Amino acid sequence: MSLSRREFLKSSAAASAAAAIGMSVPAELEAAAAKAEGDWRWDKAACRFCGTGCGIMMATKNGKIVAVKGDPAAPVNRGLNCIKGYFNAKIMYGADRLTQPLLRVGADGKFDKKGKFTPVSWSRAFDEMEVNIKKALKHGGPEAVGVFASGQYTIMEGYAAQKMMKAGFRSNAFDPNARHCMASAVVGFYQTFGVDEPSGCYDDIELTDTIVSWGSNMAEMHPILWTRVTDRKLSKPDRVKVISIQTYTHRTSDLADIEIIFSPNTDGALWNYIAREIVMRDDAEKIIDWNFVKKHMIFAAGPVNIGYGMRRSDEKSVKDGKYTALEMETVSKEMKKVVSKKEGPALEPYGYKAGDTMTNIPGTLGHWEISFEDYKKSLEPYTLEYTAAIVKGNPDESMEDFKVKLQTLANLYIEKGRKVVSFWTMGMNQHTRGSWVNTLSYNVHFMLNKQAVPGSGAFSLTGQPSACGTAREVGTFTHRLPADMMIENPAHRKTTENKWMVPEGTINPVGVQHIMKIHRDIEDGLIKFAWVNVCNPYQDSASAHHWIKAAREMDNFIVTSDGYPGISAKVSDLILPSAMIYEKWGAYGNAERRTQHWRQQVLPVGDAMSDSWQWVELSKRFTVKDVWGGYAPSGPRKDALPSMIEKAKAMGYNENTTMFEILFANKIAKSYKVDQNDPIQRGYDNTEASGDSRNVIGSDGKVFKGYGFFIQKYLFEEYASFTRGHGHDLAPFDMYHKVRGLKWPVVDGKETSWRFNTKYDPYAAKAAKGTNDTHAFYGKIAKSLKSGNLHGVDKDTKEKSLENKAKIFARPYMDPPEMPDAHYDTWLCTGRVLEHWHSGTMTMRVPELFRAVPEALCYMHPEDAKKKDLKQGGLCWVESRRGKVKARVETRGRNRPPRGLVFVPWFDENVFINKVCLDATCPMSKQTDFKKCAVKIYKA
Amino acid sequence: MRAINKITISLVAGALLMVGCGTDGLKSSEANVATKTVTEESLGLRKTDIYTEDSTIAVKTEYGTAQATTSTKIRRAFQDAPPMIPHDTIGMLPIKSNDNRCVSCHLPEVADSVGATPIPVSHFTDFRPRAELKDGEVFIPVNNYKNEVSIKKGEELQNARFNCTQCHAPQSQGNLVVENTFEAVYTSKDGASRSNWKGSTLTDSLDTVIGGDSFITEKDIANKNSAAGGGSEHH
Repeated sequence: MSLSRREFLKSSAAASAAAAIGMSVPAELEAAAAKAEGDWRWDKAACRFCGTGCGIMMATKNGKIVAVKGDPAAPVNRGLNCIKGYFNAKIMYGADRLTQPLLRVGADGKFDKKGKFTPVSWSRAFDEMEVNIKKALKHGGPEAVGVFASGQYTIMEGYAAQKMMKAGFRSNAFDPNARHCMASAVVGFYQTFGVDEPSGCYDDIELTDTIVSWGSNMAEMHPILWTRVTDRKLSKPDRVKVISIQTYTHRTSDLADIEIIFSPNTDGALWNYIAREIVMRDDAEKIIDWNFVKKHMIFAAGPVNIGYGMRRSDEKSVKDGKYTALEMETVSKEMKKVVSKKEGPALEPYGYKAGDTMTNIPGTLGHWEISFEDYKKSLEPYTLEYTAAIVKGNPDESMEDFKVKLQTLANLYIEKGRKVVSFWTMGMNQHTRGSWVNTLSYNVHFMLNKQAVPGSGAFSLTGQPSACGTAREVGTFTHRLPADMMIENPAHRKTTENKWMVPEGTINPVGVQHIMKIHRDIEDGLIKFAWVNVCNPYQDSASAHHWIKAAREMDNFIVTSDGYPGISAKVSDLILPSAMIYEKWGAYGNAERRTQHWRQQVLPVGDAMSDSWQWVELSKRFTVKDVWGGYAPSGPRKDALPSMIEKAKAMGYNENTTMFEILFANKIAKSYKVDQNDPIQRGYDNTEASGDSRNVIGSDGKVFKGYGFFIQKYLFEEYASFTRGHGHDLAPFDMYHKVRGLKWPVVDGKETSWRFNTKYDPYAAKAAKGTNDTHAFYGKIAKSLKSGNLHGVDKDTKEKSLENKAKIFARPYMDPPEMPDAHYDTWLCTGRVLEHWHSGTMTMRVPELFRAVPEALCYMHPEDAKKKDLKQGGLCWVESRRGKVKARVETRGRNRPPRGLVFVPWFDENVFINKVCLDATCPMSKQTDFKKCAVKIYKA
Repeated sequence: MRAINKITISLVAGALLMVGCGTDGLKSSEANVATKTVTEESLGLRKTDIYTEDSTIAVKTEYGTAQATTSTKIRRAFQDAPPMIPHDTIGMLPIKSNDNRCVSCHLPEVADSVGATPIPVSHFTDFRPRAELKDGEVFIPVNNYKNEVSIKKGEELQNARFNCTQCHAPQSQGNLVVENTFEAVYTSKDGASRSNWKGSTLTDSLDTVIGGDSFITEKDIANKNSAAGGGSEHH
């Protein structure tokens, strides 16, 4: 039964099929209502916001969005959206949309860093960018040109930016805000599976018996997935169990059968406790699926003294004294620390005990194979006694009750025949041992053979709408290339260079300038030009005062492209007006590997143009001789980058060929035709391809009339060609416009629901050909290891191939670098709220969302408030070693922390909480831990 | 609410950057705009400087305190948009699996008698074709490659609609920081006060590719005309 009711009614065969599945054809055919919408155009699109990736139906009338509704045909959300989803209708209509480029100028009209903003033409804007990029390249080579990229780029934008940065400017100082939201999940995937992204899909929710939310407030952050969980739970209340494992009570706990409040950072200990139960009880109860484990798993370990991703003592700004003595109390732990009593027992199997000094090495991804016996040893400390003592997070809960909860949790995982899905997002990812905790989740599922099967699996949910689709899959990270290829791999660089038709050797082999490093490199004076794309790094980065100061007071040039002026725009030297989501063609990829496309619904406002247009126009300003000469060693790159000019000439380019001609307007690109007879394009604007009725004056001072080819289709198809045949297969462009998204790998037109499972994944079936294996973990990365034990690697061992196998890691509990003490006695946790998206630039301009939550509140326990003489609704200061902000006290709201912890969301520019937060990261993933630092709270 | 919505920001920046319905007047000529400048502080939501916090205070939350039976309903933002909560919610939240106080007044059979907005028929309609395991095989009752829908009108409030606050929120009084220029167009006379999303409108216009074949064809899968490399040639 197709979605077309006309066809449906004609077909009696379809009608009986419909009856069989229980669809009722709407009885009252309200022709009148349909007529009233006669001049509305409905089209499908993807929601702008979270990683759930809901489908919306969007109506336009006279070139304006007039309504949004849930798409009944979208498998993710089936006719329902959350409050943000519905109000996609209004996000582009805030009255202060940026409509013209704005440049800081002095009285003489010239650029002046201390000047005020004045509107300038696109041509002038690109002139300034060109000059400042050339200056930066001269100063510090490609490493001096940085871009704050995004998990909210459309796939095409991310790919265009990646081409110009990595092939054009030869710079890997290109990293997305997605680093802050799921980098630890990615390291977990690479280390465990050898390939990124989840094995399961959202259908697991309807198929499972148990939903465990680990540090994730799904009810607010993935509301539509939570409706599916709610539906599942309430439909089978006795069988289906929901467990909410959190550091404070919130809406997700409101539906749970069991709530476990844990002390911040101890989730890893909890995973190890469950693993210990599995391993220690196995002899008696036959819990482990040894057939599966022996066939598909190996055990592994890595170093534990890897620091916390903070600045090291030899870095310029530390040596220059840009960090106060108070800040250094925490930052100095990057070099060495004393093992605490809390973490001592957990570290004993690794050769450390409480009181020892641990000297830290810089974070490393290195790991080696160990024996099962060693893995078992690593679990020994996590007795119920020790685990409960360090994990219990609510001082008002009895230890005995808490222990019962932990046992119940372990037993639910272990129970034979019980399906279990473990979900997490920022709680496990924003964590100074986030990569470890991610790998620990798979351990438990693997040993029970409850991973990559329908209804069971550890399932990492992403935060952003295209953290998967763009940031991870396109590879808009400093170290990545499309489709799981890596900058450091020469064969991967070569494949990419050939596809991009650039000389072999063009791509810079050093890719280590992750997003916090970009901030730090600006502060150190290495990066002189930085461009903010579809993100808000001056509001969303911890230790914010450092980066703002570096942007405003140092000799550099910061550009922000955005729909609205947020904090990043304010601190910039040049602000560019960007077309917003439904003002351009685009595609996003969600957390279940579903890629979804949409068409341009309306024209952008004012002179706003899409981010991909801005990149493509910038590429016109740079020729072969401008960017492909040789570069001396710079920053993290210790070798010279050779000149590519002669090689470029040999390929038929000359010194004056522009990057535009090579990367974007090449002969392949031009084969994708603009065609109003194409049913996909018919009736829809395409500002980049054809210009539009606004007649925007473009980068050359003339009316922009379009590129003359279907550039979004070209960018998508070229990117997709990297994925096809490599386990990431994306479907053809046109297919996505006909369906509500497809889960990759899409092979022979069919999507994949459960990866690594030979029954559902053609790549697994291919890898396991000739065997009866149920699974093949066919990822290719880090699949050859030396051996060792918990203390280290035995360098004399030979590397062993682990083809088609996954890994179970030994990882201990460790403290975060900053914990409450006598002076700063309270944990601070930050995060999001349902009604606002990230830094609020869009949602704070939607009246209904603004009025729903106009301010960031400081949620705290009523007794803490009383003790500190604070009143409900009164103002308090939240102060850390780095800075302080004022917020109103909330003791009875939707978030209910235990004593000793406060939660302050980060969307509110007036409660600039990232001035308080610490920029410690997981030293492996480089993802900031926004969930933990120590603060004091007092009356304001 | 409408009156409040009409308050506009009267800043230089506001006027300079304001987007009206027509944009022709905004075409920048360098000579014209060179004299207009905007300060950093005037841009955006926060009007105090961002380098210190002493004089910065968040906008205060002031939800309506009118009781449920006496509050004035808030107009829906657009046709079939979720209505916002006009009344005090103290004591009604949080919603728990065994305690949903919203339904006690908003279920259609009681709503009229207490003057509450009745929960519409869409909330009693099941849209989800659920995946099931049958003899070890996953069965999904619709064909997603054909955009099939499964729509069943039921008697009970759907479990998927249990979390009322996911779409409906109380509204703080006071001024907006930034006005929004969205203009609602209602297709039914009472569109601002009730949902009309039911019956045939549920599936209206779901065919979004007009002309050509709406469904995936062999030709689509073959992708032969993609010069960048169409099919899974490596597979």
